[in-house]
Amino acid sequence: MNKILGLALGILAAIGGFVDIGDLVFNTAAGATFGYQLMWVIPIGVVGIIVYSEMCGRVAAVSGKAVFDAVRERVGFKAALGALVSSEIVNLMTLACELGGVAIVLQLLSGVPYRWLIVAAAVSFAIVIWVTSFEWIERLFGYGGLCMLVFAVAAVKVGPSWGKVGHGFEPHISHNNPMLYLYFVIGLLGAAMTPYEVYFYSSGGVEEQWKPKDIGMNRANAIVGYGLGGTLSLALMMVGATVFLGHGIEPEHLGTIALGVGDTLGKFGLLLALVGILFAVGGASIDTVFAGAYNLAQFCGWEWGRYRHPAGAPRFALTWIVLLVAATLIVMTGVDPVVLTEYAVIFSVVALPLTYIPILLVANDRSYMGRYGNGRLANTLGLLYLLVILAVSLTAIPLMILTNAGQN
Amino acid sequence: MRGEFDIGLHLMDRQLLDKDGRRCGNVDDLAIEGGPGEVPEVVALLVGPGHWGRRAGWAGRLAGWIGGGGKARIDWREVDDVDSAVHLKRDATTLGLGSGDDRLRPYLERIPGARR
Amino acid sequence: MRTFSSFQKRKVVTTSGRALGRCHDLRGEQTATAVRITGLCVGRGGWLAHFGVRRHERHGVIPWDAVVRIEGKRIIVRDDAAG
Repeated sequence: MNKILGLALGILAAIGGFVDIGDLVFNTAAGATFGYQLMWVIPIGVVGIIVYSEMCGRVAAVSGKAVFDAVRERVGFKAALGALVSSEIVNLMTLACELGGVAIVLQLLSGVPYRWLIVAAAVSFAIVIWVTSFEWIERLFGYGGLCMLVFAVAAVKVGPSWGKVGHGFEPHISHNNPMLYLYFVIGLLGAAMTPYEVYFYSSGGVEEQWKPKDIGMNRANAIVGYGLGGTLSLALMMVGATVFLGHGIEPEHLGTIALGVGDTLGKFGLLLALVGILFAVGGASIDTVFAGAYNLAQFCGWEWGRYRHPAGAPRFALTWIVLLVAATLIVMTGVDPVVLTEYAVIFSVVALPLTYIPILLVANDRSYMGRYGNGRLANTLGLLYLLVILAVSLTAIPLMILTNAGQN
Repeated sequence: MRGEFDIGLHLMDRQLLDKDGRRCGNVDDLAIEGGPGEVPEVVALLVGPGHWGRRAGWAGRLAGWIGGGGKARIDWREVDDVDSAVHLKRDATTLGLGSGDDRLRPYLERIPGARR
Repeated sequence: MRTFSSFQKRKVVTTSGRALGRCHDLRGEQTATAVRITGLCVGRGGWLAHFGVRRHERHGVIPWDAVVRIEGKRIIVRDDAAG
């Protein structure tokens, strides 16, 4: 009974923890611009993150190695250094976005000036990480993030035309501004397959000392957690489509996204939406800052771990502190977190192959994995997604320039 | 490790663990003694950002410089076992490894809650 | 002192000038006090083996005895070593 309860609690936390600022921005904007036409992209992105999370979770269970350990050993020092630098840049950008997002929501809830709230958010995250155990962090932010489910309620209550929703699941290209449409396809895939999630997931597996017997649980975790989390993405897009599309509103402010719920469910709904966003994005900030510290520590061979007290892994602790400070400074310049989010997602798409190719190679390596190497399904899906990732990675920047970052 | 093996594949870039299981660096390079006409041997593990220049040219040198350029040489006789990591016979501090963590620890410990 | 990294990517050439590819790994055997180097893994496409996609056995392993000298960025081996 305890085991089932634990699994259920874990899944709840995973749902609440799935959505980050990239999902919020791209899903809502895609709905507001193209209605339900891009619904089909979300399941593709979700299956992608499931496939690769399962792979690196399995690598962690069999070899006890997290992504960056494996990357260095398998693709060589030089390529690993490139992957490290690009992943740290993208991580820092993402962290700055999430931190800015948290500050915006706090501002809407409290009315205190934005810049004070950036510092307050960063300091409170640092304190939470320093003094509480990670289990509590995960639960606190995961359950808080569940408030995001009001988006699903709002999406259903507003009464979308289900025929159009269904049609949105058929992959197609829009003839009305195809460039912008493709830009959103790429953004939605990038938002769903954010690299920090994989780093965080695999390092967590190593820390929790997964063994080959946990491979089944790893698979279930990835499928159920990300799968259910993906429904929140669908709900966000539907809210964007039903509330904003008809009314010519562009959700370019995080508050506007929450207003989409307030419109249908009233003040209480709005409050729940804001609290949900606050916890979801706050949780994502903590995951991101850890992902950055994991990568550097693993590349350098330092002691690391979120379950260790800071004195047990000093350079790891210093790294996440430095990242948090750097991200705070970036948001303090006054850069709009929503605009920065678009850039962060598109840049992360460019760097995606550097993360995913090594994972695929390592998961295939029999000298590491023995009989737990990739089977036919994992390899077919892995290669398929690798092609998608490569195509997306090569077209991301040109499309960003052609569409003026989605502004036309 | 028994029989013949690929040295680069199985030793290079591996995690170093000291006798207490502490992570204390990666194998950044290997020192080899002996040349043509002799029987060359890997005699030591080379550890630290100071060795990165040989691995990746200017980018490696730059990264190594940012990383403080530290260097350590661990005699092969200190190696206890090699599996998915390289296990060492003694503790990191004695071997001159993990000194970055050792230097930083006292400062972090001044902040309350560092050893919760 | 030589280093492992100084062998990696060096061109391997026979005394008569035939290029055999690059050295991408060293073969070794553990002894009581060290790891004795027994050969060079040479060939094209060796990076695939490094990823574990292919095995080294299919590529040339040149015994260390056949190494004549190391000059600049090239490793010179005996003609009969190429097989």
